Amino acid sequence: MKKSLPRLDSKFIVIAISVLLLLYFIVMPLLVLIYDSLFINGVFDISNYKDVYGKKVNWKALTNTIQLSLIVMVASVIVTFPLAWLVGRTDLPGKKTFRTVLVASYMIPPYVGAIAWVQLLNPSVGYLNEFLKFIFGLQKAPFDIYTMGGLAWVLTLFYSPFAFITISRAMEKMDPTLEEAARISGSSPLKTLWDVTLPLMMPSIVAGGLLVFIAAASCFGIPAIVGMPGNIEVMTTRIVTFLYMGDDKGIRDATALAVSMMVVANGLLMFMSWMLSHKDYTTISGKSTRPNMVELGKWKWPAFAVVAGYAIIAVILPLSSIVVTSFLVSMSKGLALDNFGIDAWIPVVTSSQYMESVWRSIGYGIVAACIGTVLALFVAYLSVKTNITGRSIPDLLVVLGGATPSIVIALALIVTFSGNYGLNLYSTMWILIVSYLVKYMTMSVRTIAASLSQVHISLEEAALSSGASWIRTCKDIIMPLVAPSIVAGWFLIFMPSFYELTMSNLLYGSDTKSLGVLLYELQTYADTQNASVLSVIILLIVLIGNIILNKVTKGKVSI
Amino acid sequence: MAELKLQHIYKRYGNVTAVGDFNIEVADGEFISFLGPSGCGKTTTLRMIAGFEKPSEGVIMIGDQEISNAEKGYFLAPEKRGIGMVFQSYAVWPHMNVIDNVGYPLKIQNVPKEERLKQVMEMLELVHLKEYAERLPSQLSGGQQQRVALARALVAKPSLLLLDEPLSNLDAKLRESMRFEISAIQKEMGITVIYVTHDQSEAMTMSDRIVVMSMGKVQQIGKPYDIYTKPANQMVADFIGLVNFIPATAKGDRIFMQGDEAISFPNPKKLAGEAVLAVRPEQITLSKTGGMVEGVMNHRFYMGDSVDYRVKVKDHIVRVIQKGAGYNTYQDGETVYLDFDNVMSFAKDE
Repeated sequence: MKKSLPRLDSKFIVIAISVLLLLYFIVMPLLVLIYDSLFINGVFDISNYKDVYGKKVNWKALTNTIQLSLIVMVASVIVTFPLAWLVGRTDLPGKKTFRTVLVASYMIPPYVGAIAWVQLLNPSVGYLNEFLKFIFGLQKAPFDIYTMGGLAWVLTLFYSPFAFITISRAMEKMDPTLEEAARISGSSPLKTLWDVTLPLMMPSIVAGGLLVFIAAASCFGIPAIVGMPGNIEVMTTRIVTFLYMGDDKGIRDATALAVSMMVVANGLLMFMSWMLSHKDYTTISGKSTRPNMVELGKWKWPAFAVVAGYAIIAVILPLSSIVVTSFLVSMSKGLALDNFGIDAWIPVVTSSQYMESVWRSIGYGIVAACIGTVLALFVAYLSVKTNITGRSIPDLLVVLGGATPSIVIALALIVTFSGNYGLNLYSTMWILIVSYLVKYMTMSVRTIAASLSQVHISLEEAALSSGASWIRTCKDIIMPLVAPSIVAGWFLIFMPSFYELTMSNLLYGSDTKSLGVLLYELQTYADTQNASVLSVIILLIVLIGNIILNKVTKGKVSI
Repeated sequence: MAELKLQHIYKRYGNVTAVGDFNIEVADGEFISFLGPSGCGKTTTLRMIAGFEKPSEGVIMIGDQEISNAEKGYFLAPEKRGIGMVFQSYAVWPHMNVIDNVGYPLKIQNVPKEERLKQVMEMLELVHLKEYAERLPSQLSGGQQQRVALARALVAKPSLLLLDEPLSNLDAKLRESMRFEISAIQKEMGITVIYVTHDQSEAMTMSDRIVVMSMGKVQQIGKPYDIYTKPANQMVADFIGLVNFIPATAKGDRIFMQGDEAISFPNPKKLAGEAVLAVRPEQITLSKTGGMVEGVMNHRFYMGDSVDYRVKVKDHIVRVIQKGAGYNTYQDGETVYLDFDNVMSFAKDE
C-alpha cells in the first residue's frame, strides 16, 4: 500500500495540470467570448444582439444558414439511408469499394470540393455545363453553382458522409434476427423495414442528421467559395466579414453572431448525446448469427447503377476535375489532348512562397499532432483507466472544444489571446496550433480511449503479478496493444490541421500563412489552376496519410 | 398435417458444403432435436426450413405443400411459411412492449384488436408473464425475454415451431426449468418442434428423436435411448455421453484389445483389421476379486455422488465411474478387475 500513495499523487498532479491547460485554452476563451458579447465596457448590455439581428443582412444570413442546413440535413438523410442499407445489408456488387468511396469526401477538405464544383458547374465555363450544353445543344448553361441550390448541392455531397457513417454503423450493429423475427411472424420485407428497421434506426438517423446540420451550418469554406460570388451570405461568412472590418464594433458584432452559433451547435449536440444514451436500441443484441444479406435479385444491377452513379457524381467527378485542371496547359483552351502538361505545376513547386506554405502547414500539423496525441493519451488514460473523482472532466472539456464550430473557436482565441488575459499569441504560429488542438483533439481522445478500454485491467494485473513494474507493464503490455490507436490518433489531428482553413483564415499572420489560406486566396483571386495544383498536393498527402493509417490500424480507422 | 419432410437437402457456400444430403421425415406433433458441435450445419438446416437460407439442392415440404424446391428455383418467403421461430438472441423488439411483441404476428394477420389482446393474454398466461404485459424488453430479465419470444412464436398457432439454441444464453438452473416448460407447452399444443442445440442433455430429455450432426453430415437419427446405447459410429459415441476408446484389432468373430491379445470381445458388426472398442465409464463394474480385465488403480476423483477412477489397463488409461462408491474403497496402486457391461465396437476412422 505504501507504493500506491505517491502514484495517486502523481496522477492527481497530471489531472490537475491537464484540467488547468484545458480550462485555460478551451473554456476560458469561450467564456470570454460570451462575456464580450453580453457586456460592453463591463456593463451588461444586449444591444450587441439587438444591433446585429436588427440589420437585415445579418437576419438574412441567419435564415439562409438555417434554411440551407435544414435542406442539407434532410437531403443527406434521404440519400444516405438507402445507400447505407444497400451497402450494409444487401448483396450489392462491389459493396466494399462503395463504402470506401462514399466516405471518401469525409477526408477531402470541403473547400477543395467547393473549388471542384465551381470548376464543374460555374455558369460561364463549367466543364459539366459545357458538356451538357454540347450534348443537348443548349444555348445557356443548365446549372449555376452560385445559387442557394448550388450551395446546398455541394454541402450535401460533402457532409452526407457524417450521416452515412452514423447510419451504416448503427445498421451493422443491429441484430439481424430482429428483422428475421418479423419476417417469420408473417411480415413482408417492406413492412419489416417500416415496423422494425426504421424505428430501431431512428435515433441514429436523427443523430446523423443533426451532425450534418451542425457541420453544414458551421462550414465556412464552401459558402465562401460558392456562396459569396452569388452574394449569398451565411452566419460564418458574416462573422468573417465583420472581423475583416478590424474595428471594435466589427468584433463585437461578430461575437454576438458567434455566441448564438455556439449555443445552437452545442445545444443540438447535447440533445443528440442525451437521445443516443436514452433511446439507442441498437446496442441491445445477443449473440447473433451471421447477418442475413437481402438478395436484390433482378434489382441487383439497377441498384448497382444508381449507387455507382452517385459515387461518380459525389466523389470521382469533382476529384477528376481538380486533377485534370491542374494538368491543363492553358485554362482557356479547354479539354484537348494537346493541352495537357505539367506547365501549371512548375511555377507552383518552384515558388518559394507557395512551397513555404506547404511545409509550414505540414510543420504546424506535426507539432499539433504531437502535442495533441500526448495530451489525448493522458486524457484518455485518466478517463478510462483510473477511478479518481473527476477523471472524466478533461474528456468532457475536450469534447466541448470539438463540438464548438471552428469559427467560434477562432474568434474566442482572438478576443482572449490578444494580450488582455495574460498571453499574447496573436499572429504567432501558436495561436494556430492551439486552435487545431481545441478543435481536433476530441477525435484522437475517442480513438485512444476506445482502444484503452479494450485492454482489460486483468491484462495489466497479469503483468504486475508476473513481476513487472508499472512502467514495464506500460511498455510491454499496454503500449503494444494501444500503439495503433495512438498512431491513428496522431493522424486524426495531423490531417485536418494541415489543411485547415476556417480558423487559419482568421488567425494567420504575415509569417504564418497556411496552405488552406493560400489556396483560398488563390481561388478568390480566380487563379483556379494554381489552386488546383495545391489541391492535388493536399489530396496526395491526405491519401498517403490514409494509406499509412490503414496499414497501421489494419483498416479499423481512417479519416 | 404438420409433417415436415427434408429430401436430399444440400447447402453449399462456394466450395464448402455446409450441409450435405439431409433427409428426414418428421411426424405431426413430434419433437426433433438437431444436435451437434458448433459449425456442424444444424442452424443452417433450421434456417433453410425457416426460409432464411436457400438450399442448394433438395426439396422441403410441410404436409403436402412444397415450401422449397432448389431444382425448380422455388423458395416460399419466410413470412408465408406459417412457422413460429425462437432465436438464440431472443430477437425481442426493444421498441415494443410485451403485448405488442407477442401480438405482432396477429397484427400482421389483421386480427381485430380485442381478439388480439385476448389471445396475447392467453399466451402470456401460458408462459407465466401475465404481470409483465406492459413492460418494455429492457425491463425484463433474459429468461423473461426468452418467454416473450416463445409466446410470440406460438401466438399465431403455427403447426411447426423452430427453436434455435433458445436456452444457451440462460443460466444453468433456469435452463433446466425452461426445458421442462417447453416440453409441457409442446405436449399441450400438440405442435411439431425442431429444436437446435449443442447441449446433449437438452436433446436427450426433450426429444422424441435426435438428429446427430457433424461436419455438415447427418451421423445418426434415432430415439435418445438408441443414440446412447447404439451409436452409429465413433463420432456419435464420443459426442453423446462419456466414453473410453481402446484401440483393437478385429479377426474373424472376435475383436482383440491392442496390447493384450488374451482379452477379446464379440464382433457383431463383422469388422476386420484395425478397430476401436468403446465402453462407457458408468457401464464398467470394478471389483477386487476378479473380472474380465485386470488393471491397476491409477487415480481417484471424489465427486460426491460418485467416484471417478482412472485405471491402468496394459498401456491404456480407462475411466470408470461408480455411483455411491466410497473414496477409500480402492487405494492407488492396488490391483483391480473390470467388468465391461456394454462393449461397442467401431471400425477405425469411420
